[in-house]
Amino acid sequence: MAKTFKFEIITPGKVVYSDSVQSVTAEGTEGSFGILADHAPLITEVQMSVLTVTDGKDDTVQFAIEGGFLEVMANNVVVLTDACLKEGEVDIEKARAEKDAAEKALLKAASIGEKEMARDALKRANTWLKLAKVH
Amino acid sequence: MLSTREIKQRLRSITGIKQITRAMEMVAASRLKRVESRVLASRAYTDKMRQILSHLVSSSSLETVHPCFVERAHEVPVIKIILITADKGLCGAYNNNIIDKVEKFASEHADKTIKLVLIGKKGNLYFSKSGYSIEKYFPETVEKVGYSQVRALASQLIAGYEAGEFGQLYIFFTKFHTVMQSFPSQIQLLPVEKGAFETKEELRREYIFEPSADQIIEHLFPKYIETQLYQCILESLTSEHAARRVAMIAATENAGEMIEELTRTYNKARQETITKELLEVVSGAEALVQR
Repeated sequence: MAKTFKFEIITPGKVVYSDSVQSVTAEGTEGSFGILADHAPLITEVQMSVLTVTDGKDDTVQFAIEGGFLEVMANNVVVLTDACLKEGEVDIEKARAEKDAAEKALLKAASIGEKEMARDALKRANTWLKLAKVH
Repeated sequence: MLSTREIKQRLRSITGIKQITRAMEMVAASRLKRVESRVLASRAYTDKMRQILSHLVSSSSLETVHPCFVERAHEVPVIKIILITADKGLCGAYNNNIIDKVEKFASEHADKTIKLVLIGKKGNLYFSKSGYSIEKYFPETVEKVGYSQVRALASQLIAGYEAGEFGQLYIFFTKFHTVMQSFPSQIQLLPVEKGAFETKEELRREYIFEPSADQIIEHLFPKYIETQLYQCILESLTSEHAARRVAMIAATENAGEMIEELTRTYNKARQETITKELLEVVSGAEALVQR
């Protein structure tokens, strides 16, 4: 079995996940990247995206995270994010409704700020749907 | 000495007070439980955020110094203070302790202009009468100050600092330790004291930064101030409920003692009246027999 390292996802509300894992795949500002044990120290921003974890028992767990930061230091990997949903926690109806609302808001948006907010909301809904594996 | 009727009246009112303090104690206990779990949960996030920032600051790959790390206390003699108090009293010395701390700080920095940002009604009540300049007051209850307001405040503060509106920013809050113990505290938020952040030489590692250290700090720093502010609000809120709970337990106990004492006095007074009446009856009867 591959070497493992400690991985945590922390939100202001709680520590969502904490376990030894084999690999983590996330999406940074410059594209997606993977982390294995003994990765060099790294601090990076992560985008609103689906994050995939392969844990010590070879199971994969997926999370939809809001944007945040990821730090790798001496086989300790931490993701700090505002909010995070685990696989199976997605309310598909709600995600679909939010997607529709966001699409409408994007068409109606007048200012740059509004447009950006709508775009974020759309991205969030899409990430949720991607996590739930429906479209 | 009080008459039995007066004693009875006092007994009744103290029993009423005891019921109220007991109810308040229970309300404070349940609120405390709710907010305590929140404060403990968000400490992990806040601590980690601080740690990442400290790693960023100690790394050598920063090309520019973030404006919020630049000392300008000498150029701008204005100190901004964020003060978190409670909205209500009946929580022991909670409000007084933190207000005293601000007063002491202000008298030590009498040469500077002090501007206050107040969260909590009690702080506003106190400082609106004492001639300080209050720049902003959040009229909502402390419990209702949400993350979006904290975010707005944080970005306002950072912009204000960068524009040179004030030279230092402190936050005064009450750090929660245990139910019996919490500490009135102050933290200097801006400028960030670089010394407090630098990790020891031997722990320092060379990080890879993506996209770049400067860009990450640009995004991380506002988040850091937000989480610090929010954490301070949560800490204060927890301390407030803890203080209220302790105060109400003490009040309930005191009321219990008073009730005991008054019951004793009441019984004594009643006994005395009975003895007196008996004596009157007996001596009256004897007088009739002798005649």
